[in-house]
Amino acid sequence: MSEHLLQVENLRTEFPTRDGVVGAVDGVSFYLDPGETLGIVGESGSGKSITVLSIMGLVQRPGRIAGGRVLYKGNDLVQFSQEQLQEVRGKDLAMIFQDPMTSLNPVYRSGWQVGEPLRLHRGLDRPRSLREAVSMFRKVGMPEPEQRVQSYPHELSGGMRQRAMIAMGLTTGPSVLIADEPTTALDVTIQAQILELLKKVNAEYNTATILITHNLGVVAGMCERVMVMYAGRVVEEGPTEDVFANPSHPYTWSLLRSLPRLDRDAKEPLRALPGLPPDLTDLPSGCHFHPRCPFRIDRCVDEYPPLAAVLPAQRAACWVTQAGVDLNRAGAIVG
Amino acid sequence: MLDPTAGAIEAPVAQSIGRAGRRARGYWAESWERLYSDRIGFACGLLILLFGVLALAAPLLSAVVTHHDPVRQNLANTFALPGQFTFPLGSDELGRDTLTRLIYGARVSLLVAYLTVILALIIGGSVGMLAGYFGGWLDTVLMRVVDMVLSIPSIYLLILLTALAPRIGPVSLNPGNPYSLAVIIALVSWGSLARLVRADVLSVKERDFMLATRSLGASNWRLMSRHLLPNVLAVMVVAASLQVGAIIVTEAALDFIGLGITPPTASWGNMLSNSQVYFYHSLWLVILPGLAIFVTVLAMNVFGNTVRDAFDPRLREMR
Repeated sequence: MSEHLLQVENLRTEFPTRDGVVGAVDGVSFYLDPGETLGIVGESGSGKSITVLSIMGLVQRPGRIAGGRVLYKGNDLVQFSQEQLQEVRGKDLAMIFQDPMTSLNPVYRSGWQVGEPLRLHRGLDRPRSLREAVSMFRKVGMPEPEQRVQSYPHELSGGMRQRAMIAMGLTTGPSVLIADEPTTALDVTIQAQILELLKKVNAEYNTATILITHNLGVVAGMCERVMVMYAGRVVEEGPTEDVFANPSHPYTWSLLRSLPRLDRDAKEPLRALPGLPPDLTDLPSGCHFHPRCPFRIDRCVDEYPPLAAVLPAQRAACWVTQAGVDLNRAGAIVG
Repeated sequence: MLDPTAGAIEAPVAQSIGRAGRRARGYWAESWERLYSDRIGFACGLLILLFGVLALAAPLLSAVVTHHDPVRQNLANTFALPGQFTFPLGSDELGRDTLTRLIYGARVSLLVAYLTVILALIIGGSVGMLAGYFGGWLDTVLMRVVDMVLSIPSIYLLILLTALAPRIGPVSLNPGNPYSLAVIIALVSWGSLARLVRADVLSVKERDFMLATRSLGASNWRLMSRHLLPNVLAVMVVAASLQVGAIIVTEAALDFIGLGITPPTASWGNMLSNSQVYFYHSLWLVILPGLAIFVTVLAMNVFGNTVRDAFDPRLREMR
């Protein structure tokens, strides 16, 4: 088997609830190669965040990883002790969170916090970690880095804080950077700057990036490969270009179709995906997507389809496309 | 022609927040400013500070200013009226100078109060942090202990502890000396602090920065000591400053019923207790220590409220 930088195999993360155990992540497998950017898309509650938190070993109780492996450079992180995980976190795997407003500790100056991974992993003292923080701030395009390391988080704008978070993630030169909706809480112009920055980081430091997002436009612009999740499972996965040109799961197809397009008649109403995401405590039989699927066949109600190749580089979990149906063509008929 | 550098990230035009050259001010600096701007509260703080200085300087004051020893009996000058040059605040039934004894009494009362609060903060703070941070069975066990401590009226517990003068390992807690008395009062009064700290920990630990810091590879210990503690410190400071006054009263009450500081060592509580017999005969012997307790506790409470408002404006609605 070829060696990937990060390989997730059949990961399952469960949360006990009053209505029984919920598999928030249910048999997810994927890989990440050095320097590449993987996009994970899906609705809220589809298991994107829990997947990456599981990789980092950060799933909070009562949630737990119930099965599967997370191989990082061949070592299974699921089997790691807390101490071993502390070694890996922040040094090899870094994570950027959604809301930069609340992701920085309000009582410390930003420079102190950006230097924290260096003190934790490289044993640097405070003055040296602060100098490193200044140079990191410069690299991530923070204006006036010498002054900004002295600022408290509440004195920085949202974009600056997200830059600080990225700087904090990168100080130790991790090989994997996980960005969990890094731009959701920012306004559009700042979003573009932060995405540019992530792109630059990816290219310059050869950091493999996992980008979680709701935004398909972001995926198209940033990611070489994309993975679509629905109800805790991967429903489609492949090179971004192929998936966008030839969506092979009806969910992906519906998502892409619901985007407003410039080449369509402006008076045409937006096409929303009907229905609601399923309740994880009470999943539909067979394919979890079948109640909302316009292409549903009888088999979908009874049996969950495996994630199988539909096109050379692209895999999808759908009986219809595995039977050879082209959704773009069929979609014209279904409406 | 496309600009070849167009892909490079452009830093937004430098925009500093606030006035140019203004040094970044943190939470503590702003709290201090709010504290300073409350005139009455700040004055009470200064008064407490003054009492503290007087108490610390007690041996010096008695040697240089009052020329009296706090325990030396002078049977030729019993029940001297206040207002005389040699006995500015009068003397008691054994001819001891009231002013000197009040200053020495402040030493005991303040020492016991501050020591108790510090000990209670350490015990209550640790228990609250551990219970709130780790949760689960540890939380359940620790908080049931807190419930037990809080469910017994503290005065009974205090009387029990002082009467039994318990031994903790090789250390015998004789309530007659202020250090032991502080330990005993602290053992009874850490419960509410633990609850308060736990509640704050529960809210702080759910904040995103705790997860973000964990993702940097910080250990539980580092998360608690370096990231959680500074965020709950405000609540601890506020609770402590509100508790000092209550502990002075508690200590005085124990002295009064004869379970605290043993005479002849002067404390405000045992001065009161001692003088109750002379209520109709020499009223100042009752009024003066009572007034000392009253003024100190009032100042402590006003100052405590000011500290609360300054450090945590959200808490203003509470109590």
